[in-house]
Amino acid sequence: MNEFVQYLVNGLTIGSFLALIALGYSMVYGVVRLINFAHGDIFMIGAFAGFSVLTTIGVTGGMALPAVLAAVVIGALTTGVVGTGIARVAYTPLLKAPQLSLFIAAIGVSLALQEGVKVLTDARFKSYPNALDGGQILGGSVRVTYGQLVLVVLAVVLMAGLWFFITRTVTGTAMRALAMDRDAARLQGINVERLILMTFFIGSVLAGAAGVMYGLYYTQISFGMGFLIGLRAFTAAVLGGIGNLPGTMAAGIFIGLVQSFSAGYISSRWTDVIIFALLIGVLALRPTGLFGERVVERA
Amino acid sequence: MNLDSRLLRYSGWPVLILLTAVVGQFLDDYALTVAASIIIYAILGLGINIVVGYAGLLDLGFAAFYAIGAYVSGLLILKQGWNFWLTLPVAIAAAAIAGLIIGYPTLRLRSDYLAIVTLGFGEIIRITVINLEVTGGPNGLTGIPPVTIAGREFVTPVDFFYLVLVFFVIVLAVTGLLARSRLAYAWRAVRSDDRAAEAVGVPTRRVKLLAYVLGAAVGAVAGPLNAAQLGTVDPSNFTFLTSLFVLLVIIIGGMGSRPGVVVGAVVVVALPEVLRTVQDYRGLVFALLLIAIILVRPQGVWPARFRPLTLPEVAPAAERRTAKGRLLEITGLSRRFGGVTAVEDLDLTLDAGEVISVIGPNGAGKTTAFNCITGMIVPSAGTVAVNGSDVAGQAPHRVAAAGLARTFQNIRLFGDMTVAENVLIGRFARDRGLLRRLGAADLEAVRRCLDFVGLSDAATRSASALSYGERRRLEIARALAADPAVILLDEPAAGANPTEKRSLMELIAQIRALGIAVVLIEHDVALVMSVSDRVTVLEYGRTIAAGPPADIQEDQRVIAAYLGVPDDPETDLVAEVLG
Amino acid sequence: MTALLEVSGLTSRYGQVEALTDITFEVAEGEIVALLGSNGAGKTTTLRTISGLHRSHAGRIVFDGQDISRLKAHQVVTRGLGHVPEGRRVFPALTVAENLLLGAYQRRRDRKYVAARREEIYEMFPRLDERRGQLAGLMSGGEQQMLAIGRALMHRPRLLALDEPTMGLAPQTAQQVLGVVRDIRDQGTTVLIVEQNAHQTLRLADRAYVLESGGIVLDGTGTELAQDPRVKAAYLGGDPIIESPA
Repeated sequence: MNEFVQYLVNGLTIGSFLALIALGYSMVYGVVRLINFAHGDIFMIGAFAGFSVLTTIGVTGGMALPAVLAAVVIGALTTGVVGTGIARVAYTPLLKAPQLSLFIAAIGVSLALQEGVKVLTDARFKSYPNALDGGQILGGSVRVTYGQLVLVVLAVVLMAGLWFFITRTVTGTAMRALAMDRDAARLQGINVERLILMTFFIGSVLAGAAGVMYGLYYTQISFGMGFLIGLRAFTAAVLGGIGNLPGTMAAGIFIGLVQSFSAGYISSRWTDVIIFALLIGVLALRPTGLFGERVVERA
Repeated sequence: MNLDSRLLRYSGWPVLILLTAVVGQFLDDYALTVAASIIIYAILGLGINIVVGYAGLLDLGFAAFYAIGAYVSGLLILKQGWNFWLTLPVAIAAAAIAGLIIGYPTLRLRSDYLAIVTLGFGEIIRITVINLEVTGGPNGLTGIPPVTIAGREFVTPVDFFYLVLVFFVIVLAVTGLLARSRLAYAWRAVRSDDRAAEAVGVPTRRVKLLAYVLGAAVGAVAGPLNAAQLGTVDPSNFTFLTSLFVLLVIIIGGMGSRPGVVVGAVVVVALPEVLRTVQDYRGLVFALLLIAIILVRPQGVWPARFRPLTLPEVAPAAERRTAKGRLLEITGLSRRFGGVTAVEDLDLTLDAGEVISVIGPNGAGKTTAFNCITGMIVPSAGTVAVNGSDVAGQAPHRVAAAGLARTFQNIRLFGDMTVAENVLIGRFARDRGLLRRLGAADLEAVRRCLDFVGLSDAATRSASALSYGERRRLEIARALAADPAVILLDEPAAGANPTEKRSLMELIAQIRALGIAVVLIEHDVALVMSVSDRVTVLEYGRTIAAGPPADIQEDQRVIAAYLGVPDDPETDLVAEVLG
Repeated sequence: MTALLEVSGLTSRYGQVEALTDITFEVAEGEIVALLGSNGAGKTTTLRTISGLHRSHAGRIVFDGQDISRLKAHQVVTRGLGHVPEGRRVFPALTVAENLLLGAYQRRRDRKYVAARREEIYEMFPRLDERRGQLAGLMSGGEQQMLAIGRALMHRPRLLALDEPTMGLAPQTAQQVLGVVRDIRDQGTTVLIVEQNAHQTLRLADRAYVLESGGIVLDGTGTELAQDPRVKAAYLGGDPIIESPA
């Protein structure tokens, strides 16, 4: 039983990162019908950005909450800028081109980011300082650290923030409208092109934040970390229904739990096989995802 | 075609092969190993070329087939003591089956989802072979003996180079045959617009699955070869990056282009060798190369070029259909979407040589009715009998095969194929054969249909380069190539000027003269009245009037439906319309 | 009265198809002008080109003295030209209140204005007031049409263009919608209305133009055209322009 709870706790932590990344996939797909293949690598960029912040500040250990927050905020914003820049330069020229071209360009960007960071880091992994070393909250057979608590709270705050933005602000509502009917949105005076870039920005900020949090949790980061995690997050987005934000959040947590439980009860070697099998199964049975795409497809 | 140009055209590959064979004598071991790798990547390229290049299915997990070929062969050699040559057909078969399994779930998916699913499969296979004991875990299989032919071992780089070259020639010949088959044309149509291809008679599901199966089979050939060269099957050779590099071969070379595959393979394999000094930057260079190519030259270095069809000079004229009697009988056709009834209880009958039109104001349900009739939507109720057999609810290509051809309101031609090739695709409704060459019947039908609509001079032009009126006529030619009993024209006069409308009317008259029945949806009511024998008027999905044009024109209900009810309190029209 | 909207020589294409040929017409302030014609005549294309959703190939569009021919759609809205598109196109997964909110997107920073204006729209459309929190996609066709119109009115356009507002509506509801259109004009908004339903629209409109195959073939006052047999011909081919084949 204690095992179960431990896996649950770990799964929720991982799941909250995955949810943040998955939201980025979902939002971007909602407005431009593009699976941003490079999104997982944006997450990776965030991890490295946060690392730079922490090393610049000079954190070595202990419970350095202000430094952590600074790393998350600055790392996330930097990633937001990078993600938006990439969208502007590499994707915008291809919006009118056949869909395949845009997707392949995203693959190219993904590879470029990975290889670029590989060169800059000499293909070696970096280690985050243990900046959330606050010990355990619950003792005994179930281990929950302060660090975990901080991260989950942070993730929840971000998701709540996003939810508030999307549902309670005019701009957020306009973003939702954009995903439903682009021309009708234009007719209300909405600058569609600018809003699309904003969507990329927000998605990248979320992924960047997740990257920093991942670094704080797992400490080891490397240039290739975005690939598999990106795919897991994508699975979550599909499961939750691309374009369906609450669904995506829930699915992100779910995939985190799947990852944790399969690692615990079976073996971490088979985790990804299970997750991919889930992805393929869902798409095979329901080509529009589990909860249906929140976007209408013209036949 | 004179001897000189034919010589030139056919000599390309043989010259290249010969040259490669000769050069091989002068290369050192290192160069020979690189050259052998190039050829192996060329074989893989020819495989993915089928899936991605011809059929347009973006496979990001092609390395899986490579891996399956290598592992199956390796395991049979090591554990069962089989001979290399015996393992080949088994390895190929295993990959082909894998192709079927991988392809099946992707059939209904959009291209980007499809790509991710194939990626997922690739990862599943990679992780599985790393995790299982029997496949040697992360170290893979070791101790695979070199290939032997009649006792002679092919172990030196020179030997292996020539061995691989021979395999390449065989694969080249096989893919060459495929490139000239009817299947190749079907692939290109599916790539261009798979729903239109399906509607016109191409069995798209089968065609897509064949792409996976054949592509996998070709890719699998490289596996055992690679295993024999290295003596091992190393799972790190079959990662996503491998799949990406194989994809890069055809993106750089040109999708669908076999010469391009060679160019791409040379670049993908040789570039890292050349960049050995700046080892670390290789991946980055490839990434930037990929982005650059997609932005600047998406068609690749050596874009695919397809040989134009050689049409006969003259084709025997189409015979008037002798079929008598009811060609089309639709009864009680209905379609509901949730609470809305888009089409309610539609009845239509059509005899040979008749022209009937379906008209009605916007939102009347005309297009939905058409889509139900042709199988693009499944009707909620009703029968659609073509020549006596009910096709309601069947897949569009079966409906087409039953004798029902159609055109589209927004003209769905295969833009990257020529005029003649577009018409050719229409033939699949009549002849679904795939794994053979084009026949005389195919080419004669194309000639005949092009002559009929007056597009013979444009046969070799790209379909996207035609004028609007010509594109309309091409779509009709494509529909006629199916030798249909009934042809459904969806707003053929949309956007046409008076001259084009006049030619259209003449064309319709000629079609009916052949004994083919015509169903027309049109908004140009003047045109409809002039060419139809009977007219059916729909409003809100229901038939409000049906009969000869003259009756319809004076029918008060029809006038009310189009123009609104005149403000005359004395008439009971409002009640009639609403009741 | 100078024209609020002047369209001259407007030519528009879809690919190689010429959808509009040399369209010239004008709408004076305070008028209701109708564009009639059967399907495929080019009515919707005209509106889409005017509001900037579609690029014109040639010709000029002058609104309130300014050339708006090359403006993007969201900029045209700022100038005071509202457009209720064909098929209503409300945002289905947003509520009535949210749909209206977006109608005033250009003035979103002025919270007081938006709130006050929304209340005015609720007063004009009691049905919407009752359904403030309902998802737009679940409403009936007539209600959606009211919402689409209300949404377009949120930013107080000087000219409101409506594309087939009565399409797909039961006759009674259609009457209501057209009544609303009259009220809108009476309250000071100029109206350009596109319709297939000729009779009712001609009773409503001050002037009308009839389109056929991308060009204007008739024009006149509402009363004139209501009695003109050529209108019926333009729709139902009473006067065949093409001879029947032999």
